[in-house]
Amino acid sequence: MPSEINTPNKLELKNIHKSFPTVVKGHAGRTQILAGVDLVVKANEFLTIIGPSGCGKTTLLRIIASLLPADSGEVLVDGKPVTEPSAERAMVFQSFGLFPWKTVLDNVRFPLGIRNVPPREATEIAMTYLRKVGLEKSASAHPHQLSGGMQQRVGLARALATEPEVLLMDEPFGAIDAQTRELMQEELMRLWQETRNTVIFVTHDLDEAVLLADRVVLMSPGPGHVRKLVSVDLPRPRWGYDVRAHEQFAPLRAELWQALRGDLLQGSAAG
Amino acid sequence: MSSTAIKPARPSGAMTVASALRLQHVLPVVSLVVVLSLWEVVGQSMNPLLFAPPSRVVGAFSGLIKSGELLAATLTTVSTLSVGFALAILVGIPLGVLMAQFPRFGELLSPYLYGIFSTPRVVIVPLIIVWFGVGYSGRLFLIFLWSMIAISTSTTDGVRNARPDLIEVARSYGASRIEMVRHVLLPGAVPFVVSGLRIGAERAVVGVVIGEMFLQLTGLGGLLVTSAKSFQTAEMLCAVVVIAVIGTILITALDLLEQQVSSWKRRAT
Amino acid sequence: MTAVITTGATSVPTRSMRWKEPRRHLLFLAGVLVLWQLGNLALGQLVLPSVPSVFKALLEITLSGALIKAMGESILLLFLGLSAALAIGFFFGVLIGRSKLAQWTLSPYFSALFVTPTVALVPLVLVWFGFGLSGRVLVVILAAVVPIMLSVAGSLRDEPGELVEVARSFGVRGEIALLVHVRLRAALPVILSGFRLAVGRAVVGMAVAETYLRLGGIGALINSYGALFQTDYVFASILPLTFLGIGLTKLVSRVERHFQGWQS
Repeated sequence: MPSEINTPNKLELKNIHKSFPTVVKGHAGRTQILAGVDLVVKANEFLTIIGPSGCGKTTLLRIIASLLPADSGEVLVDGKPVTEPSAERAMVFQSFGLFPWKTVLDNVRFPLGIRNVPPREATEIAMTYLRKVGLEKSASAHPHQLSGGMQQRVGLARALATEPEVLLMDEPFGAIDAQTRELMQEELMRLWQETRNTVIFVTHDLDEAVLLADRVVLMSPGPGHVRKLVSVDLPRPRWGYDVRAHEQFAPLRAELWQALRGDLLQGSAAG
Repeated sequence: MSSTAIKPARPSGAMTVASALRLQHVLPVVSLVVVLSLWEVVGQSMNPLLFAPPSRVVGAFSGLIKSGELLAATLTTVSTLSVGFALAILVGIPLGVLMAQFPRFGELLSPYLYGIFSTPRVVIVPLIIVWFGVGYSGRLFLIFLWSMIAISTSTTDGVRNARPDLIEVARSYGASRIEMVRHVLLPGAVPFVVSGLRIGAERAVVGVVIGEMFLQLTGLGGLLVTSAKSFQTAEMLCAVVVIAVIGTILITALDLLEQQVSSWKRRAT
Repeated sequence: MTAVITTGATSVPTRSMRWKEPRRHLLFLAGVLVLWQLGNLALGQLVLPSVPSVFKALLEITLSGALIKAMGESILLLFLGLSAALAIGFFFGVLIGRSKLAQWTLSPYFSALFVTPTVALVPLVLVWFGFGLSGRVLVVILAAVVPIMLSVAGSLRDEPGELVEVARSFGVRGEIALLVHVRLRAALPVILSGFRLAVGRAVVGMAVAETYLRLGGIGALINSYGALFQTDYVFASILPLTFLGIGLTKLVSRVERHFQGWQS
């Protein structure tokens, strides 16, 4: 959309490098995971990152969350560099990351407690977001009593409850069965339409990447870098019609698949 | 293949489930009755004073209760045990957390703790005498230190085994070190702490008895030794039974707690 | 590829840590000894004997043969007690593990023995079985037998179904042959971990019996110095006992690890 050219940059990644120490055949060395990643994310943008395993997309997300330090380069939020983890960049994890010993409500309240929100207010906020994900009735349940889809809804409510500037999602539906995943995708769309956070969503599912995104970032491995940026102009809201059947969907998917396929073939030949 | 998994070695014909269940409850009782009667008959005929048949033990028991001796001894033992064990918990859990949070410190300290833990307490008694004298604090120390080591070691294991994904969650929301311990590390370590408490309780029961037998003749351990010196076998048996009952109650309670906690843990993962 | 390699990231710091470890431990030990020595200055020779005096005492009792004689007696007692406990534990373990009837008839006694601290049984055993070697051996047996029995019984109860089938197909016949060739072999790691527990308890039982009787062995030696308030000699004679306990336990756990590796 042309109007978005004027929207400010929410998040900027400048020349991010990352390597990990490794031991190959008894020799200590370092494996380069990310080499010079530059990326600009607009405010209120839904960005998906896709790429073959090993392209460093999850590492990149952890660097944005300041869970990992970058070797060099900068992460800027609203133009200011960030180095410490904070709820303003809330993360949703693939393994849900719910505390099994806390109730659903206490799980959602957890980040609010860390931010010293008074208990009563924290409960109110947490209940608001549980209502949004349709789990207000399960507030006093423990995570193990919920299905995978419901657990990730709690994870989502917890991340949203802090009203983050940037929502980071690390393959959040990767551990959820296919049918439930489609429902979750629609629900995420609805929530996002309401909250309009800036979202960075990592996935290895091409359909999901196109379905959700304003822009898709394709990353390539060896070492990881941004290979391709594709804008998705499918009409929003993206529910109430069959998005996958839209005339723009197939060409976008094909374009990304061509690029991804090359990396996958290379990867399987090398590995 | 798995259908053959459970079968008694002596396939005693067509033993129905119901009769097997009945046997399971009847047999231990029958066996106890037989053994106790045999003991009664043989003990009476040989040397009733030395072999203390059940009838004599019951007599001694009521005698000790009437004189108030048994109750007083039990109170002494239980109160020392409770204080020592409580101290062990109060010190053991924080020490365990510290050793996990500062792994270098933990690694340096643990060989010494292991060394102390592996040393039989009876041989430490001479040292306890010169350090604490013959009294309450020495008996407390014999319970406290060994029990505390068991608890802190298990706590360290539990904290070290914390789920890395949950640590990351807490970190991502900017949790401080103390919040991390409170919300992630300690709750996650609970199953380990409870099994540490169980081992610690076993050690504590042995510790209180050693203190009362070898350091200061008091409580049930003291009753045991003084009765032994005058060959009052029936009284000795009374003391042993009460000690066993105390140990059983404490350890069964912790077993139940452990089962509850570990079933919660299994469901969660 | 990279994803697999990144998991190796943790092995590097641990490796370099292992390199530094002996030095750090030695430094820490030096610190402990210095503190000990300061404690000696503050508290006096009776409460905390000086480090050199403990080493001198250790040297002296080693050279005079007192330590070796006492340790010899203790190790003999341990050896006899543990052998007997193994035999008895195996016998009842197999019986209880393979027969429900035996389990229901015998288990009350073993559970009672398990919850009763061995220390509390020592005076009884010595009144009933005398003050000779047999009484002391019995104390060690009582301390050590239950973990052995429980591990044997427990491991025989979960049947290695597949292995038994394989053995049958190769012509192994009869309950005893199956027991020896398949079931006990498969159960070895569990039995060894039970034995490791038993060794620890046996050392305690031995020390208790010797202390109570004061007739010989390391337990009696320590207490004879204790009675004279020769604290340096007490320390010097406790140290070998501690190392005996740790050494025996480490030995069993090494055997255990060997068989665990061989099984998986």
